[in-house]
Amino acid sequence: KKSTLELLNPNQLTTETYWKTETDVQSALAATYGLLRDVNGGFWGVRGIETSNGRGDDFFIRNDVATLYQLSTFTNTPDNGPVNDMWNTCYRAIFRANQIMENVDKVSELSADAKAAYVAEAKFLRGLNYFILAINFGDAPINLKTAATKDDYFVAKSPEADVWAQAKQDFTDAAAGLPVAYDKQWVGRATRGAAIAYLGKAQLYTKDWPGAATTLAKLTTAPFNYQLMPQYGDNFVVAHENNQESVFEIQLGDVGGTDPWAGENSAQALGVTTAQEFAPAEVAGWFEVSPTDKLFNEFKKEKTVDNDFDPRMYATLIWDYPGATFYTKPFTSFKLIFGYSSMFKKYQNYTQKDEITGASGASNYTSSNNERALRYDDVLLMLAEALTMQGKPGEAYPFVKQIRDRAKLAPLTAGLTQDQMMAEIRHQRMLEFAREGQRFYDLKRWGLLKQEITNSDKVGKQFYVAGKHDYFPVPQQEMNSNPKMVQNSHW
Amino acid sequence: QQQVTVTGAVTSKDDGAPLPGVAVTIKNTNQGVATDADGKFSIRTSLGSTLVLKALGFAPQEVSVTSQKLSIVMESSKSDLNEVVVIGYGTVRKKDLTGAIANIKGADIKAQGVSDVTKSLQGRLPGVTIESAGGNPGAGTRILIRGVGTLGDAAPLYIVDGVQVPSINNLSQLDIQSIDVLKDASAAAIYGSRAANGVVLVTTRNGKSGPPVVQVNANYGIQNLAHRVDVLNAEQWANVSNAAHDAGGLTRLDIAQNPSSLGAGTDWQDVIYRTAPVQQYQILTSGGGDKGTYSISGSYTDQQGIVTVTGYKRYNFRAKSETTKGRFRFGETVLLTREKTINMAGGWGGQGGNPVGSAAKMIPVFQVYDSSALGGFAGAYGPVVNVANPLAQLHLEDINTTSSNVLTNVFGEVTIIPGLTYKLNMGYTANFTTDEDYQKRHTVGTLFTHATNDLSLTKEETQLLLLENTLNYSKTFGKSSIQALAGYTYQKTDYSYLLNARTDLPDGLRNIDAGRGTSTNQGNGLESALLSTLGRLIYSYDDRYLLTASFRRDGSSRFGAAYRYGNFPSVAAGWNISNEKFFSSLTSAIPVLKLRASYGILGNQQIDDYQYSAVISSNINYVTGQEQQKWFGAIQTAFATPNIKWESTKTSNVGVDAAFLKGRLTLTADYFVKTTSDVLLNVPIPGSTGSISDPVVNAGRLRNNGFELGLGYADHAGKLNYSVFGTFSRVKNKVLELGTGSQKIFGGQPTHHGASSTLTEAGGPISAFYLIKADGIFNSQEEIDAYAKNGALIQPNAAPGDIKFQDTNGDGQISDEDKVYAGSPFPSFEYGFGITANYQHFDLNAIFQGTHGNKIYNGLRQDLESMSLEFNYSTATLNAWTPEKHTDIPRAVTGDPNINDRTSTRFLESGSYLRMKTLQIGYTIGDPLKNKLKISSLRAYVSADNLFTITNYTGYNPDLGRTGSIFDRGVDFGHVAYPIARTLSVGLQLTL
Repeated sequence: KKSTLELLNPNQLTTETYWKTETDVQSALAATYGLLRDVNGGFWGVRGIETSNGRGDDFFIRNDVATLYQLSTFTNTPDNGPVNDMWNTCYRAIFRANQIMENVDKVSELSADAKAAYVAEAKFLRGLNYFILAINFGDAPINLKTAATKDDYFVAKSPEADVWAQAKQDFTDAAAGLPVAYDKQWVGRATRGAAIAYLGKAQLYTKDWPGAATTLAKLTTAPFNYQLMPQYGDNFVVAHENNQESVFEIQLGDVGGTDPWAGENSAQALGVTTAQEFAPAEVAGWFEVSPTDKLFNEFKKEKTVDNDFDPRMYATLIWDYPGATFYTKPFTSFKLIFGYSSMFKKYQNYTQKDEITGASGASNYTSSNNERALRYDDVLLMLAEALTMQGKPGEAYPFVKQIRDRAKLAPLTAGLTQDQMMAEIRHQRMLEFAREGQRFYDLKRWGLLKQEITNSDKVGKQFYVAGKHDYFPVPQQEMNSNPKMVQNSHW
Repeated sequence: QQQVTVTGAVTSKDDGAPLPGVAVTIKNTNQGVATDADGKFSIRTSLGSTLVLKALGFAPQEVSVTSQKLSIVMESSKSDLNEVVVIGYGTVRKKDLTGAIANIKGADIKAQGVSDVTKSLQGRLPGVTIESAGGNPGAGTRILIRGVGTLGDAAPLYIVDGVQVPSINNLSQLDIQSIDVLKDASAAAIYGSRAANGVVLVTTRNGKSGPPVVQVNANYGIQNLAHRVDVLNAEQWANVSNAAHDAGGLTRLDIAQNPSSLGAGTDWQDVIYRTAPVQQYQILTSGGGDKGTYSISGSYTDQQGIVTVTGYKRYNFRAKSETTKGRFRFGETVLLTREKTINMAGGWGGQGGNPVGSAAKMIPVFQVYDSSALGGFAGAYGPVVNVANPLAQLHLEDINTTSSNVLTNVFGEVTIIPGLTYKLNMGYTANFTTDEDYQKRHTVGTLFTHATNDLSLTKEETQLLLLENTLNYSKTFGKSSIQALAGYTYQKTDYSYLLNARTDLPDGLRNIDAGRGTSTNQGNGLESALLSTLGRLIYSYDDRYLLTASFRRDGSSRFGAAYRYGNFPSVAAGWNISNEKFFSSLTSAIPVLKLRASYGILGNQQIDDYQYSAVISSNINYVTGQEQQKWFGAIQTAFATPNIKWESTKTSNVGVDAAFLKGRLTLTADYFVKTTSDVLLNVPIPGSTGSISDPVVNAGRLRNNGFELGLGYADHAGKLNYSVFGTFSRVKNKVLELGTGSQKIFGGQPTHHGASSTLTEAGGPISAFYLIKADGIFNSQEEIDAYAKNGALIQPNAAPGDIKFQDTNGDGQISDEDKVYAGSPFPSFEYGFGITANYQHFDLNAIFQGTHGNKIYNGLRQDLESMSLEFNYSTATLNAWTPEKHTDIPRAVTGDPNINDRTSTRFLESGSYLRMKTLQIGYTIGDPLKNKLKISSLRAYVSADNLFTITNYTGYNPDLGRTGSIFDRGVDFGHVAYPIARTLSVGLQLTL
């Protein structure tokens, strides 16, 4: 009797019944964006922030979670959990983005333009994940279709150059199809500006200086109207989310469940635990990380025209200066337990009394403070670098000037050479983007990892091996389950 | 000789109940009487003569007439061939049996002073592995029949009074009539698609015709931690910590500054462990007349855990009756159970694990209480690993499970013509479980803060409906007898789940409505159905030649339309050699000699429902908009497998049953080969596919072969009666094919962030230990420098005192590629033995059980001997390597750049053990007192469980109690363990 044994899943739609309405497509996008802030593997989730920053000469991870400590001290092995999660999460996003591209045509109520825009948005997300794979792993498998049969599960890796080419292609296509802005309801989704900025960034990372300069310059003119925020520190507080400087921003809010570790279901909190894990113990934090004194000292190198510390130092770090308050308490009530001179203030919810009591009043570990993935200040400094590297340091001045002016630094000496201008750009990038997952990758593309790690007070710097630690190994789980996979060299 | 009137009372040794219908004859005469309904008889004979007593199911007994009043206790027979064995959908005389079945009578497991039926089976059934499922009260056991036949759920099918149940852990010992374990295809194939891992049939007790019998059992015991881990006290810890920081070039921890001022500090194991009482009360009444029998029982168990706060309570009620009227027969079983378990927290984030793990890892410098802290507990502070105060975990989070179970079974049977009966059997089971998790607001040290009182309630409901129509025909013609069965059955399971949670409850209120904070709710449901036809023919010729054939066809909703049905045939033959004429001269010495052989196919469908369709997972949400609203997300996150089908197991079995020495020595031996094809398994696929989970596929072939032996010997020496039993089981498993061919499945994570420790791949055993080999210690820089490949150091981060790891593949570095096979988590054999003896009023039971040849990966030792992270360490670290003192414990160094604490053979230990499971000494009061008290029997006993264990394993318990994936077998995840208790108890067994 067929009907007796024909039981349909009462809980979930199936792929045959999905992809009927525009809402289905939008929901599929939400599920793809959501991975960017996944607590375990999302590049802007807490482990992602630790993984992207942890190897930098400006960053220390304490000896609590062994796998993270190993990453930051260059003693990690291929079975490292956070690295495995980063890899998997990128491919989950790619799998989901591919589904959108493959199924959007089934939605008959959508116009051709609307479909194109959704495909562009999916391509942006796919490109972004290939970007993350390229900077972290180099060579990686490229999947442009969802696996149809069992044989499709096993894909060999492509050379890093091909991964970059794919990321750039996706950003190019995305830029062609995405809107410049969204309605109020949809603010936070990828815009044309975001696609162009990431394309420019990919070109810069692959040393296509003219390409990067041309691409990034587009963002300085209409239809775009990006501006630096007058106060640098406003970029890192909840009150100024999605502001004029924001090019692409990871949206976080206390509007979901209460459990950040619940996995992908309704109980999952829609914020990140980063602020709580980074906060000092005195305010219910786990003090997992610390800035090194190399960063602290770099900030002190140049004072403002008012002979004060750089406002970015005040926005990024908290240390023992007169009147310093942190989480409504005088800074002197906090203990610097690692022997370093400062703590991170950037992205912390330091106007609350602690990091547990969230905006809703519920006790949870999540922060609603959006991670600003790419800002206009980055666009300006990348543009300046692309010009400088083409031997045109003079053309970089107006862009560096905007950064320096906001930081209340004196005008830059005229007539800097290419090397001098690059040194200035490097210095500015280190300060501008501390704790924002750029430093290690910047040093890598500048070829300065060995020099700058050696020349730092980073714990474990003696274990850094040039070449080897520039990339993560292919995760052991991938090695174990994919017969076509080959481990990265040195690992 | 002068004839006198001798009166006697005959009772059963099993339960002290009077035995009616016992044939009492005077030896070497034809004179005899039978006992009446009260087990009493009266006969005229001479003093000094001998009476012979015979009764079905009991060993014949000869009694000298020494007085005019006799009190005779009859013992049930161990090798009685008329003994009936329960098989699926019926019973068969043991002498007609062709399959491999292990069984045990309720009388043999009654009241051993333990709280759980299945624990008392450990070591008693050949071919049946019973492992503890953890030391926590109410945890029960995990049963494996003939090894691991699949890579998924390898639990057998449990049937209680004809109805499928998920577990038999919650039954009361006193209710058990018999437990029959169907091991081979011939015995189990009648259960078709669910029988591949064996079938456990439990029959609960029914009454006997005669006057009512009332039995009361009471037991009270105390439990203590059997084995604790040795960790450092505060001063010792500070010394090791300081040495490790110095070696790592890091500043010493503030809390370790003055070791000598710290003293012993807090012994966290003392803080959480306690001496815990366990008590158990059971009452049963049974009886019946010509037309019907009944049995009603109730029991209560209250077991506190040896970890403070934890505990378990259980209430059982059972009623069973049977009525005959004309050609109709009716009967029912009603079994109600209510259980409440108070569990400990699994972990509070951070890395301590549960309170047991935290009690081992928590630094002894920290205090237990802090009256000024919210919640009242102190905790860790400073740059140490996030380990929670275990006592705070136990008191500040209340996690309890309440479970109500209903099992009902009703049957009606009609005899159509003599020998042909139709039976309608209706079964219904329901389980209602509520999990409550209430977290009180607290601040514990600086690392654990929970600002509000939060409540989470989960309700689960599972219902199973069973309808069975069977026709039975039995007929004897000439020397032939047949027993035929045909049936049609339907079974449906419904499951639903509902979660409700709310944050921010006012202090003291524990209902969702009181909460002011965020609500969470979730719910879902599952259904599955099974539709089957079945048939069986048992043919016997002259009690010499036996043949059994059975067939079942199952249709399951768990598979896609094309693969829904499976066929499960079996055939078996038996030869009672001892009934052959040519054997007649030997029958007195060897009363039983039977050969058996069987072959058949069994199935397995233990996978989740709906695997064949690709689903859209919802509530994968994101945030969007200027107002930062929830953006509902949904998409396909994993791959479906539309083409999966039944897993099937072909089993061949040959066996022999024999009795020697006039029946005093009995033996059952079996050899089997089980080959499982189309193994259903979540096969790991590459992360680069983007799937969040691994699809279930028919992934390979496995083979298990093994040998099992059961021996029994019963005799007496003067007034000492004794019997001895022994079991021996040996199973070897091998993976013949797996997944992609080169598929490797890793498992067995031993620590919170640790690497895998086991590997399953074609050509090897299931879940073998596969580890980087630790190869001693580098005693000098020269040794490190000499360990090089092409001029480059193999371990560049090493310093003297670090571990040398074997570069197995010779690539000049240490990586996962250097792993080697290091042993198996499966024993080369396991065994049990025991002795039962009585001498006058005293009796003794002693049962031993053990395994040999298996390895255990000690995960907790990996944490405690690491000296890399900031938690407490094992006392072994006091003996760490220093330049002056070369030892085999590596140097103390924070950060551990050489990763001495990596998952390696360093933490693999022998898991062989021999445990005294039970020692019990009883005293049964004599007749004068018995008569004065007007009772049938009264026995008092003292009992000890887990009195001692002989093992080299250093963890809590070599009988690990880790449930979950087969790939975790043999891995001691001490992080979330619950250690085993040693129990001493006293009890009374009264029969009115």
